[in-house]
This record gives sequence, structure tokens and C-alpha cells, in this order.
Amino acid sequence: MFKEELIKTLQQIQEKYEEEVNQVLDNLEGASKEHVTFSDLSVKSLYSPKDIAEIDFMEDICFPGQYPYTRGLFPAGYLSRGLHIRQVTGLGTAEETNERWKFLLSNGANALSVVPDDGSGNRADSDDPRVQGLVGKGGVALDTLYDYQTLFEEIDMRKYPVHLITTNAFALACYLTIAEERDIDFKELRGSMSNWIRPETECLDIIEYCTRNVPLFNAGYLDMRNVREGGCTAVQEIAFGVASAMAGCDALIERGLDIDDFLHRITWFVNSGPDFFEEAAKFRAMRKVWAKIFRERYGAKEPRSLMCRMHCQTYAPTLTKQQPFNNLIRSTIYSMAAILGGVQSLHVNSFDEALAIPTEFSASLSVRTQQIIDSETGITKAVDPLGGSYFVEWLTKNLEQAAIDTIDNIQSKGGAFKAWDWMCGEIRDAALKNQRDVDSGKKLLVGVNTLVDPDDIQMKALETLQKHADFEALFEYDPSVAEKQIKRLQKVRRERDNNKLEIAKNRLLLSLKERKNMVPPLTDAVKCGLTRGEFAQIKAEAFNQPGEGPYVCNPPFVLA
Amino acid sequence: MEQKIRFLLSRDDYYHQRGYWVLAKAFTRAGIEVVLGGIQTPNGIAPIAVQEAVDIIGYRIMNGDPKILISLLFDEMSKQGIGQVPVVVGGIIPKKDEDAIKGIGVKEVFHPYTPLESVVESVKAIGNEGRKYMTPRNTE
Repeated sequence: MFKEELIKTLQQIQEKYEEEVNQVLDNLEGASKEHVTFSDLSVKSLYSPKDIAEIDFMEDICFPGQYPYTRGLFPAGYLSRGLHIRQVTGLGTAEETNERWKFLLSNGANALSVVPDDGSGNRADSDDPRVQGLVGKGGVALDTLYDYQTLFEEIDMRKYPVHLITTNAFALACYLTIAEERDIDFKELRGSMSNWIRPETECLDIIEYCTRNVPLFNAGYLDMRNVREGGCTAVQEIAFGVASAMAGCDALIERGLDIDDFLHRITWFVNSGPDFFEEAAKFRAMRKVWAKIFRERYGAKEPRSLMCRMHCQTYAPTLTKQQPFNNLIRSTIYSMAAILGGVQSLHVNSFDEALAIPTEFSASLSVRTQQIIDSETGITKAVDPLGGSYFVEWLTKNLEQAAIDTIDNIQSKGGAFKAWDWMCGEIRDAALKNQRDVDSGKKLLVGVNTLVDPDDIQMKALETLQKHADFEALFEYDPSVAEKQIKRLQKVRRERDNNKLEIAKNRLLLSLKERKNMVPPLTDAVKCGLTRGEFAQIKAEAFNQPGEGPYVCNPPFVLA
Repeated sequence: MEQKIRFLLSRDDYYHQRGYWVLAKAFTRAGIEVVLGGIQTPNGIAPIAVQEAVDIIGYRIMNGDPKILISLLFDEMSKQGIGQVPVVVGGIIPKKDEDAIKGIGVKEVFHPYTPLESVVESVKAIGNEGRKYMTPRNTE
């Protein structure tokens, strides 16, 4: 990227400079000469053109909106496509969550996201004794179409893209039904769901159906954010995600789809963690790896296929219950890395997430964080403002290389679906190492292993607020939401036409057994009042898998 | 050789699992035998505890209501005749809930970033106490 003469001149100057720095640091007690990033990259204290001499501007960096999209997907960045402020929401029944959505929108959020109270997608209905204590607690209770209708009440589905945090086709069927009720053409319908790419009929049916019928809906999802929360590194976040997408693509191509038909509807859910520059560089590297792999190895031709689009949620494992307001500062810094890295959509964790589900009070601060960055700091006014930094370009290149090496390693194990257990092992080992590093003080965490405040004045402030404020300052679960939800469910059971439902259920079961796409018959059944628990039972019968329950459980085993 | 403490570890939800695996690995390396129960409701835990003859039960709670889940767990344990086996809880547990579940009988509640060493030490001490309740493994 630079003239050879400059590199040659720099060779000597830089060696001398680095010697000097080393001398200074040698004489300082406790100073360390190198920083090791979250992804185990050793970084120096200064970078120059010499460190990125082999980077080619046109090939590696180029302009925003141009292959390999290192600098972003769109020529004008946030100037033409503003950040989606999208906070995860899910509490109580659909009524409470609908109310929270409206509150967030009135505060300037411009995209929506909903988390149901069941992660597995095979949850029993809310009136099943086995789910006592779990109804509407970690998310919103959504048993039937009626719940989804309440959830979407007075929400403009054309205006606000909605993300469904579930892998369950039931949620999609309800979403599509509501669009139909409102006369919205499926071809106009935007939105997405956490349909994590995996080799299961349900996952692939959803992508296949949407590719053919709901072309703007992002039906495939790489949930690397939660994998990262599980413990893995930034490099693994890129590599495990791309490798999972590759495995999904192989399966969909086998179903007769063309790569350019669906690749652009696979989106990423990514993390933004504490290692500021590594994180900002990670988003750049992620876009580049995606574009290169799918162009070079899969022959994708459409530019939109090669654009890696991301929704980001800031890193949570460093959020502390000690000195909880510090989490506002942490999440603000993590958000800045995400926005400097050019993500499309963002959730900023609320300061109280190590204590409870966010309140209106804390969630509105998360919205404000994004608005302040966007409107007061100028950060969103320049496209890829970190581009050209010797350090950030060096990091981007090195993260890219490490990610490609990891992808090749996964491919040599037979691809991501087969290497899944190996990937899980890597993630868990990394989590254990991380915890040990905090325990030993190698990794500093304010309020936990350094700058501890035995009085915790911040916690006292929050408790005082909770006691005296005339609004909810810290969330408390109200078990009566379960009774409310059971009443809602029983109303549906009472009012539905059981004959019609039986016919629809039988059609759905037959279709599943014949391995036809499940979305159309499921949508019909949902309209007849099918519940999520009944859908799970039908799936269990058709696929001969463990039945519906609170969760699908594996038999216990002793850890080796 | 002294027999290892047998620890049943379960969790209450599908997504959050970092702490679950960190503890499972740390316990195993510290010489505690970990029976991984996976994602379980209270009713699912008690029968596994009997079948696996564990000395101590650990429940990671993130998603559910701690008071309800723990009351159900103790009811079921009594029904299965293992009401005395010690129970410890980890996860995001509000102070009020911590007091409530300790009142029900939970021996210890571990919060995020409790150093692993102190969790291990505490679990070993509580597990040792628990040995006398579980039969038949301990009477062999």
C-alpha cells in the first residue's frame, strides 16, 4: 500500500523506536510490553505503514459499498441507512410486551425484537404444570395466534421490522397470519427470526418457504452473539458463523435452491465486547471473510449475497451486579465499537441486566445511549472512520487470516454440522479460561477484582430509587402473569372450533411425515387455534423425537 | 481412596449456559464428579438425583422464578424421599429471592463472578454433609 522506499526507511526508524519503547517499559515497574487481545492476538503499542505493507488498498480495503465490503455495505454508511435501534423485549403476557414496545417506539426506537419465554421451541403450553415458574418470566408467554395478535396490536408491521427470537416455525406462522389479516403482501413483509442455521427440517423449511414466498424476510440466522456470550473469541465468532452458514448453504443447495436466491436473507447476530479495537476490526473482518468465502468458494454472484448484514447486541458477561451503573459505561463503549464497525442494528444492554429483566427506565437509557452516539458525537457522520488506521487495518487483516484458518479447520472436520461438538468444546474451554483470568486478576473487572466498593454506593442508590421512585426502578417478576396467561389460553381453547382444528392438525401431521414444507399447513392450523404445545406434540409424533415438555432433555451423563 | 462427591448440575433454560459449563468443568477438574442433568424442571431433577445417587444438587436459575422452582423442587424431593439432600443454586438471583429460597432450605446461592475456588470449596463442604443422606451408594 506504500512506496517501497518508505517501508525501507521505516524499517530502521521503527526498529529504533521500538527499542526505545522497550527500554522505557523495562525501567517501569509492572509495565507490560504487549497486550494480548481477547482473541489471543499479541499487539504492540504502535503500528506504522511497515506493519501493513502487504495490504492492498483496492483488494483488501476498497470503498464502502464495494467488494469485499471491509468498509461497510453501503456507500453512504449511516448517512443513508440509519442505525436500527432495536431493544430485545419480552416480559409477562403479550399485553405487557406490546406496552413495552410502544414505550420504546415512543422513545425513538425504530425496530423491534421479541423474546418468548421458551428458547427451545418445543415448550409445553402455559397451563401445563411442568412449566410452573417459567411462564412469562425470561420472555413473553406466546401460546397461540391470539397472543401474537395482542403483541402486534397497533404496531405498524410495514414501518417497523420485527425480529422474532425463536427457531420455532410456529412464531413465523403467526407473524404471517397477522400480515395476511392486515392485507400486507408477503412480498412487502420485512423482518427476521433467530432461525439458527442447523440441519433440521424446521430450520430449512422456514428458509425455503421464505425464499419462495416472503422474499424480504431474513429467514436464516447466525446467532453468533450467544455463542460469543458462551465464551468464544472474536475470531471464533467470525469463523463459527461463516462455517455454519456454509453448512446451511450446502443443505439448501441440495434442496434445489440457488445460492443467490437465499444467501442475502441469512443475517448475523453478533456481539460487541470489551476489547475495543479488536471488536471494531472484527466487524470489518467479518464482512470481508463473508464476501470472499461466498464469492470464491460458492460462486455467489449477486452483490447482495456477498453483503454480510449484522444485528449486534453488546457483550453481557462483563456486566456486574456490583456497582451496577458502571454497566452503562461499559455498554456505551461496546456500542461505540459496534457503530464504528458499521453494524446495521443494535441492542445496548441495560445497566441492570446482571440483576433482572430491564425496566422501562433502564431500557430507555439503552435507547438514549444509541441516540447520543448518533446525534451528538459525529461518529456516524463519517463512513468507516477507523479505516486506514495502521493498527485497525493490521487487526482486520490478522482477524481475517485467523478466521479463515479456523474455517478451514472446521471444513477439514466435515463442516460445521459435524464439527458442532468440537466447536462447543472450544467455546466452553475459552469460558473457563476467561473465568480463571478474572479470578486470578489477570483480566481486570472493575467492582469485581479491582476497585471494589464494600459499601457499593451505586447499589444503594438503585435500592433507594426502587424504594422511593414512583416508577419501576428494578424489575420484579409478578407470578400473577401466569394466571393471566392461562386465562388467555383457556379463552382460545374454549372458543376454537375443535372439528376444524382436528382436520388442520391431521393435515399438518401428514405433511410433516411426508417431509413436505411445514409452513403452509402450520399456518392453517394456527388460524384454527393451534397452541405451541400442540405443535410440539405433532412434531414429536412426526419426527419421533422427545415430546413436548418444558424442554427437550437429553439423558443425564457424567462429565468426563 | 476417598470416594468423590457426586454433584447433579441442571439448569432452567435453553440459551444461557456459560456458567453451567464453566462450573461443570471446574468441578470436574477439582475432583468432584459432575452428573450433567441438562435443562430440567424441578420435577425432572428429583428422579435423576435418586437414580444417580448424588450427594448434592445444583440448580442454575436464569429464566424461571427462583421461589416457585425451588418450592416445587423441595416438594418433589420430599415425595421421592430425598428431602435431606442439600441443594445449592446459582444464576441471577435477586436478593429477595435469595432470602426466600434460603428460607425454603437452599444451602447456598452463588452469584456471577463468585471466584471458582470458593464455589468449589463450598460445594465440597456441603456435598460432604450430603453424603449421609443418599443411599445406597454411600452404604456400600
